[in-house]
Amino acid sequence: MKKNNGKILTSLFSLAVGATLLTGCGGGDAGGEGGDVQLELFSNKSENMETYEGLIAEFEEQNPTIDIELNAPPEAETVLKSRLTKNDMPDLMAIGGNATYGDLAEAGIFKDFSGSDYLEQIQPAYIDMINKLVGEETEGTYGIPYATNANTVIYNKDKLEELGLEVPKTWDEFVNALEEAKAAGEIPVQFTLKDAWTGMISWNSVAANIQPDNFAAKKSAGEASFQEHYSEVADKMLTLVEYGHDDNFGVGYSDGNTAFGNGEGVFYFQGNWAIPEIKKANPDINLGVFPMPVTNNPEENKLVSGVDVLFAMSTETEHEEEARKFIEFLLEQEKAKQYIDEQAAFSAVKGVLQEDPVMEGIKQNFEEGTITSFPDHYYPAGMQAANLIQAFLIEKNKDEFLKKLDNEWDKVENR
Amino acid sequence: MQKRQNAFILMTIPALALFFIFHTFPVLQGIFYSFTDWKGYGDWNFVGFKNYLNVFQDGRALSAYGFTFQFSIVSTILVNIFSLVVAMGLNAKIKFQKTLRAVYFMPNILGILIVGYIFNFIFAHFIPDIAESLGINALSKNILGDPDLAWVGIVIMAVWQAVAFNTILYLAGLVTISDDLYEAASIDGAGPWKKFWAITFPLIAPFFTINMVLAMKNFLMVFDHIIALTGGGPGQSTESISLLIYRGGFEGGEFAYQSANAVIYFIVIVIISVFQIRVLQKREVEM
Repeated sequence: MKKNNGKILTSLFSLAVGATLLTGCGGGDAGGEGGDVQLELFSNKSENMETYEGLIAEFEEQNPTIDIELNAPPEAETVLKSRLTKNDMPDLMAIGGNATYGDLAEAGIFKDFSGSDYLEQIQPAYIDMINKLVGEETEGTYGIPYATNANTVIYNKDKLEELGLEVPKTWDEFVNALEEAKAAGEIPVQFTLKDAWTGMISWNSVAANIQPDNFAAKKSAGEASFQEHYSEVADKMLTLVEYGHDDNFGVGYSDGNTAFGNGEGVFYFQGNWAIPEIKKANPDINLGVFPMPVTNNPEENKLVSGVDVLFAMSTETEHEEEARKFIEFLLEQEKAKQYIDEQAAFSAVKGVLQEDPVMEGIKQNFEEGTITSFPDHYYPAGMQAANLIQAFLIEKNKDEFLKKLDNEWDKVENR
Repeated sequence: MQKRQNAFILMTIPALALFFIFHTFPVLQGIFYSFTDWKGYGDWNFVGFKNYLNVFQDGRALSAYGFTFQFSIVSTILVNIFSLVVAMGLNAKIKFQKTLRAVYFMPNILGILIVGYIFNFIFAHFIPDIAESLGINALSKNILGDPDLAWVGIVIMAVWQAVAFNTILYLAGLVTISDDLYEAASIDGAGPWKKFWAITFPLIAPFFTINMVLAMKNFLMVFDHIIALTGGGPGQSTESISLLIYRGGFEGGEFAYQSANAVIYFIVIVIISVFQIRVLQKREVEM
């Protein structure tokens, strides 16, 4: 999930204003005496910069000869791909487990970690998840999953209680809850579809629970298609968008967080990463989360969770030893815990659990392993599914839309 | 004489070298890669004209061309009307003339992303709040969220920002017109309207040409306005060609394909600019 896409504006704005600040952070450390080895840590998230900076400061204290420079530009994946064309890869990369990772791993940019001790410390489900992103011809694990996320429905506990409703366990119960919220004059769902990527949250939940296993591989092989297998997904998306507010396509992610924090909306389709943002608007809000119940069989409903941060190392780095040292440092239980606590995230490191009471509603999924991956991470990046889905939710032309998804997929793969 | 010429050649060489290395060479590289299937990294093969043929069959590229032209034509016309009006106002003998000139130039020195941030706020909160309290339903939603209206929002911001620069060019033109002409016209009994069409407009014709060409070219390459306001959405309704090339080329791993698109687009812009200059300069001569 390219979360920072939604924050492009804020990020670009702050970049424009404080470009020097960014480099200033790294540069300040770089100036320190004895900084013999310089490592670049490239990150695709703007949300976790402070956490990294704290961890880096601690690491540099323990290892005075290593100097780590954090670089987290806006539109990071694009920046990374364009740096690749210049053969100027960062030593260490903290990126999401998505199609970009798969492309880059296939291109042979990353070191293969298969069989290393690091992977023993990581939950195998997440290792499988990123292995599947790399095409069939290439074997190997080119990254170390670190933090994971959950694609959830966030809800306002107080409002749900006022309405006299329970957390829904099936699709029918969910639609019923939306209906009752609407009848009571509340905004059932705070949609933020001005930012196209936010539509992917509900899309991923719905699609992950309905699409056949290995849809992407089958689609590429011509054995599956959107027209055949996504009809129900499209219908359910149209049902959900009925329960928005007046201006579903005019409100963006950051405005939506504020509005939801201020009590506008009972449900909010967002991942765990939005929780700190909502709490910024209203620190006292009583939030809960649950996996979207997409089918009517509670046993079948799974939580969509993906690798939010994985560490990859460039094959061309001159400082492999130092880079490994830093990875080992981050993988320590205590550091992994610090990361997930500050980021309201989940850890891919074995034995590190998120104990925040807000996350109670999805804890069971992590314990039982009723988890599935983000469908869109397996779509070809060039087809820009998010914008197509945004257009579909406006125009509501199901048949045409499904056909378009099929065409765009084929078109991009044929290039 | 020979010596003097050598000095001139020496003076141009650094600029020529820089231009070649940073401009011409990348262009040639882009043209080269447009005949391959390079993703931006990894291996590649020659594919001939396949990329070019695909661009013509790509609905997304065609709709990007449609949006870009619609946007640039409307914006170019509006910018030229507004900047001419503002320039004539600032050229008149008014109080605080210098201060006002500085104020009207302000938008040009603000970064487009910052302007975009402000306009985003205006469209998302300011206008809807006012419209709601006045009971105007049509404006109570964010227009950037409506696929049919989002482009209007971009035009508003682009025009607001671009008027500043074109005003300066028109002002430079207006200053060259001697007051004697207006005085003579007044004695002949010409009204303000007549004066404008018979004196002002013909005499600033060269500035009109350059403003039209520059504005059109800038708007055809529109990119940061869209990143700041809509990111190409809703759907793909405000995706300009530059944005499509950037998105597809770098995010989507279609470097070679979008290079072909860029080459086609380059040719289109050259044709339009040459056409504009030809037509408008002909008009200058006739005057």
